[in-house]
Amino acid sequence: MMIRIDGKKHSWREGMTIKDILKDLSDSHLYAVVRINDKHISRPHFEKTLIPDNSEVFLILMIAGG
Amino acid sequence: MAEYEMESLKTFNYDRPVIEKGYANQTICIDISDFVISVKPVAEKMKDVFIGGKGFDLWLLWNAVNSTTKWSDPENAICIASGPMGGTPVYPGSGKSIVTTISPLTGSVIDSNVGGYFGPYLKFSGFDALEVTGKTSKDIVIFIDGIDEKVQVFTASGLPDDSYNLSAMLTERFAKGKPRNISVVSTGPGAKNTLMGCLNFTWYDLKRKRARYKQAGRGGIGSVFADKGIKAIVARWDTVKVKTNNPADPDSLKGVGKKYSRKIVELDPKQNQMAKIGTTHLVSIMNDFDLLPVNNFQYGRHPEAENIGQEVYGRIFDPGYDGCWMGCTLACAHGVKDFVPVTGPYKGTRVFVDGPEYETIAGCGSNLGIFDPHSAIEMNFYCDTYGLDTISVGTSTAFAMECFEMGLINETDTGGMDLSFGNRLSALEIVHQMARGEGFGQIVGRGVREMKSIFAKDFGADPDLMQDIGMEAKGLEFSEYISKESLAQQGGYGLALKGPQHDEAWLIFLDMVHNFMPTFEQKAEALHWFPMFRTWFGLCGLCKLPWNDVVPEDNKEMDEPAKVMKHVEWYAEYYSAVTGRHVQPDGLIRMSEAVYNFQRIFNLKMGFGQREHDNIPYRAVGPVKTVEYESRQERYDKQLIEKHKVDIAGKSTEEKVALLRKFREELYEKLKDAVYKRRGWNNDGIPTVETVKRLGIDFPEVLELLRVYGVE
Ligand code: SF4
Repeated sequence: MMIRIDGKKHSWREGMTIKDILKDLSDSHLYAVVRINDKHISRPHFEKTLIPDNSEVFLILMIAGG
Repeated sequence: MAEYEMESLKTFNYDRPVIEKGYANQTICIDISDFVISVKPVAEKMKDVFIGGKGFDLWLLWNAVNSTTKWSDPENAICIASGPMGGTPVYPGSGKSIVTTISPLTGSVIDSNVGGYFGPYLKFSGFDALEVTGKTSKDIVIFIDGIDEKVQVFTASGLPDDSYNLSAMLTERFAKGKPRNISVVSTGPGAKNTLMGCLNFTWYDLKRKRARYKQAGRGGIGSVFADKGIKAIVARWDTVKVKTNNPADPDSLKGVGKKYSRKIVELDPKQNQMAKIGTTHLVSIMNDFDLLPVNNFQYGRHPEAENIGQEVYGRIFDPGYDGCWMGCTLACAHGVKDFVPVTGPYKGTRVFVDGPEYETIAGCGSNLGIFDPHSAIEMNFYCDTYGLDTISVGTSTAFAMECFEMGLINETDTGGMDLSFGNRLSALEIVHQMARGEGFGQIVGRGVREMKSIFAKDFGADPDLMQDIGMEAKGLEFSEYISKESLAQQGGYGLALKGPQHDEAWLIFLDMVHNFMPTFEQKAEALHWFPMFRTWFGLCGLCKLPWNDVVPEDNKEMDEPAKVMKHVEWYAEYYSAVTGRHVQPDGLIRMSEAVYNFQRIFNLKMGFGQREHDNIPYRAVGPVKTVEYESRQERYDKQLIEKHKVDIAGKSTEEKVALLRKFREELYEKLKDAVYKRRGWNNDGIPTVETVKRLGIDFPEVLELLRVYGVE
């Protein structure tokens, strides 16, 4: 019942979304993309994307383009 | 392998200079009309003003051509240079070459930044830049052998036409058992028969035991190369170490290089995983934010985009180290092993494909309505081996497809081809026709600008409509991002010196997604700083990806996170350590400003550097057709009501399209004003005398040219 966010342990609960984990962060507006394991998820999908138990979550600071 | 013969026409022996603080301090000029080879010294002033790389190229090209030179004239030069840091093996992304010439697509200066080993090997062989002028009716191969200190020109017969085989054969021919010592620059039959030819620059993949390549894609440099009669240019050099580049302060260089390399190894797996999936992560992200070009930039998303995204390519890419220069820990130059094309001369055989990267997937995939990962790989393979730029091929084919779907052209015009969006076999056939120089593909290979005139003149198509939907500016096809919802990116494309390529400024996310630059002044500032800093990479022989595709953990605490200032500071340290010229971050911007303004003035010399040349087609600014408006109706309606205070009740979509267009075109003109002012240009987009004096580019011929345009 645990996930890691940027390497730090974080409790997990059934039905948890990306929006839920960003809610607690003061700088959440900076993140337009989050990676769950190997998959990039963009802001338009934060609300509906569930985070599976044991996920590695990475908050992606920047998308810099080509 | 085919039988071939090479006969030496000319041998030029030279004494290789010692590299000093990143410079060979001389350039080489090869005139292939009469095989005259000359070496020119690099003066301190040339280093002060032009730094290296693109700066050196531009100076050599400026002196080679006059204002009436056409791309196919013998005096047009192809210039290739790395830069003072090019060839450093301990700092990620330090092996780039910059190529410049007068472009067949734009008629003005084009520059393209490319990986592979050639630029560093050229420098270590004794030359900061190579300038090739003249033309020959023979097929020739130029060999620059830094180990044996000689330059040879060969006539060649029986060599393959396509770059894939040619690169492999010439690597073997010159390697003397050490293929890693060789880098080949070549193109293919597509370059000869179109205006959008690219150059392939090889690097040797020790693990896979094969010559791989990266492309100098934009602006038809490969077409100039083929038109000159050059089959290939080959450089040979030995082992590369830090001391090969003889940096001023090797300890400091190693310190900053190791720090940077280690950080990338630590952070890339936590961020965009470019060492695993390259730039393919952008496909789904662009799609999610409505920015992925679909069906000739009409739409920004498609439900099948996942099929051509990172998860699929992550499985298809051959795992292993893919650095296009030694020691690049970002190593993003991935490839596909044992790919079997279903069309063309390689049909049914196994090949290795270098790529695809985001631009190719979007240009030759989504923008053509094709969402099959293997078609994009096949387009990628054939474009490379035929010597074609995947971006121009994609954007030009997308334009032809939309014209076909709108009935502006028909099957009689296309030679019987159904060019509907999504028709992957037709898209591939266009590429094969480009290589064979026949059929409708030959017309597409002229690029969007010429296609617009041909379709109007020969097929009676509506020129105004084609002007709106034909995605070219300054004659160059747009690269693969939807700029409609980001005014700053419209400027990033429209105000770019060479035409709409995103390498000057990629501001979509900062502007549209993060809203970091709400005012005109902020956008203008971004359209000053980012193009300048990005230009700097091309002066020094560097790749921009390690700068901001991996960012420090504490970057978010910085005042301007988008600039990634910690890395900029490391770059200043790196430059100082190599050249011994101590510089602070703002000094890097100043270096670029001189070269950037010089290139703008070079455009002016060729008749293209004024305000009107910064115009872009309306498709890049807003919705041309009602279907485009309706695909984002909520957003557009809201803008009309809230931003432009329009009462839209009772208005038809056509009326709303027209209103939005009026507002958006006005905004784009206002943006031009703000950016010109910030860059120190007059209202016609020409650098002022004060600006050129401040930057030290007030050469007599520059001032004379400005005077002709009324700038005194
Ligand atoms: S980041 Fe990629 S493109 Fe840039 S030098 Fe490294 S491998 Fe080449």
